[in-house]
Amino acid sequence: MSEKAISEKKLQSLHDAGNAALFLAIFVGVWELVFVLGIFPKISLPSPMMVAGSFDKITLNMSLPIGIGVTMGRLVAGFSISIVLGTLIGFTMIRFKGFGRTLSSFSAGLLAFPSIAWVPFSILLIGFNDFGILFVVIMSSIFSVMISTYSSIRNIPTIYIDAAKNMGAKGFGLFRHVTIPAATPSLIIGLRQGWSFAWHAIIGAEILMSIVGLGHILSVGRDFLDMSEVIASMITIFTIGLIVDRFLLNKIEEKIRRKWGLNQR
Amino acid sequence: MTKLQAKNIVKHFDHNGTSVVALDGINLDVQEGDFVCIVGPSGCGKSTFLNIVAGLEQPDSGEILLNGNPISTPGPDRTMVFQEGALFPWLKVIDNVEFGLKMAGIPKDERRQISQRYLDMMQLTKFADSYTYQLSTGMKQRVAIARALAMDPEILLMDEPFAALDSQTRDLLLVELQLIWEKTKKTIIFVTHNISESVILGNRVIVFKNRPSKIKKEITIDYRRPRLMEDENLQKYYHQIVEELKNEVIAQIKDENP
Repeated sequence: MSEKAISEKKLQSLHDAGNAALFLAIFVGVWELVFVLGIFPKISLPSPMMVAGSFDKITLNMSLPIGIGVTMGRLVAGFSISIVLGTLIGFTMIRFKGFGRTLSSFSAGLLAFPSIAWVPFSILLIGFNDFGILFVVIMSSIFSVMISTYSSIRNIPTIYIDAAKNMGAKGFGLFRHVTIPAATPSLIIGLRQGWSFAWHAIIGAEILMSIVGLGHILSVGRDFLDMSEVIASMITIFTIGLIVDRFLLNKIEEKIRRKWGLNQR
Repeated sequence: MTKLQAKNIVKHFDHNGTSVVALDGINLDVQEGDFVCIVGPSGCGKSTFLNIVAGLEQPDSGEILLNGNPISTPGPDRTMVFQEGALFPWLKVIDNVEFGLKMAGIPKDERRQISQRYLDMMQLTKFADSYTYQLSTGMKQRVAIARALAMDPEILLMDEPFAALDSQTRDLLLVELQLIWEKTKKTIIFVTHNISESVILGNRVIVFKNRPSKIKKEITIDYRRPRLMEDENLQKYYHQIVEELKNEVIAQIKDENP
């Protein structure tokens, strides 16, 4: 990429950031206006300043930092297990075609299954504990990883496999040096989707079955009619989702797409 | 010495539930150091035949012998240059060229040496560390040729490798390929639908008949190299092949519009 193109891109992202800041300012302004007009009772809709106060409170009493830590820990643990198991099942589906076809015929139902619907099942099966929450996270994200592994590998252009076999690649070498890299760009998309399912699941599960975590802060806020705390927690959830997707997953995907030459105009 | 023998190769395809004969008994002997061009109308099964030689497809009957031994699986002794290059986008140019050597378990230093040599030969030295999307179509095909040659195959298979190139690039590569053939003494089977290409490259041109495919005619071209596109002495071979193919193309059109 030329230096000019880079600086143009920087300018563009600066411009985008400016627009985002402007949008946020307007959003907060409208919010403040609605508050001042008193359309909703104060207890139902606090002002931006009151929410900022709540942020201060839950940060100082450590419930927010601990909540973020616990939630992210559970999420990373659950999603990692999903990746490992989902990928293995995906590989098995490739290896045993009949099994693969059978399982993939259920894929629409499995992918669309609402994560929250796993909660009662998990409470009764495993219990009202961390493992129960992990179970919900895993069940909500594993199918997306599994199906994307299966379809990414199946959709590799046959010419790559032919060319590799033609040069003597076979067995595990073929798998490791051709199948996996050839499937990577589409695998990443599946992982991104799986991550988003896991993120939905953890908050839902924590609201219903946890005594700590971001979702738990939401449910405490509800129980104590503390709308400021609810909104503060929602903003945190939004921000974490945005940061992880924009600055981690998206960056990884971009990098791979660039290297694979998929970003050419 | 006979390098490769195709014995009565028959191949059927399933087309909308009916069985279509793609290859109807192909017999071909290729001598060591031959440059054989197979030319025929599109869909005549010439690429299928090449895939069978490569071991990527299996014939319904008949066999392929390489140095007298029957073969049925793909292998680095018969490397193929595909129409679309089929380079791996996740690897740098040099790693693409080294891929087969790596699969063969050749140590890294030796791999580097070999791949450098073929990159030099194809004038790609400067692009060793580029990714394939940074290359033009012509450069990609040069990498594909370097990659195939790096395996030092018994026989080099080329499946319309220049079909996607602009004509200037193609003319250049037609000359380069002849020079490489003279330098490396490789046995080459080159499949094309382009008659001029076959006349310039082949010392034997095999004309395939339309489906069911058989060998219709073989023309030997014994003429100095490197041959150029504009050489008028090649015209008579060109016309001879056009004449052979004319009826085939008409037959194919009738076939497709009954």
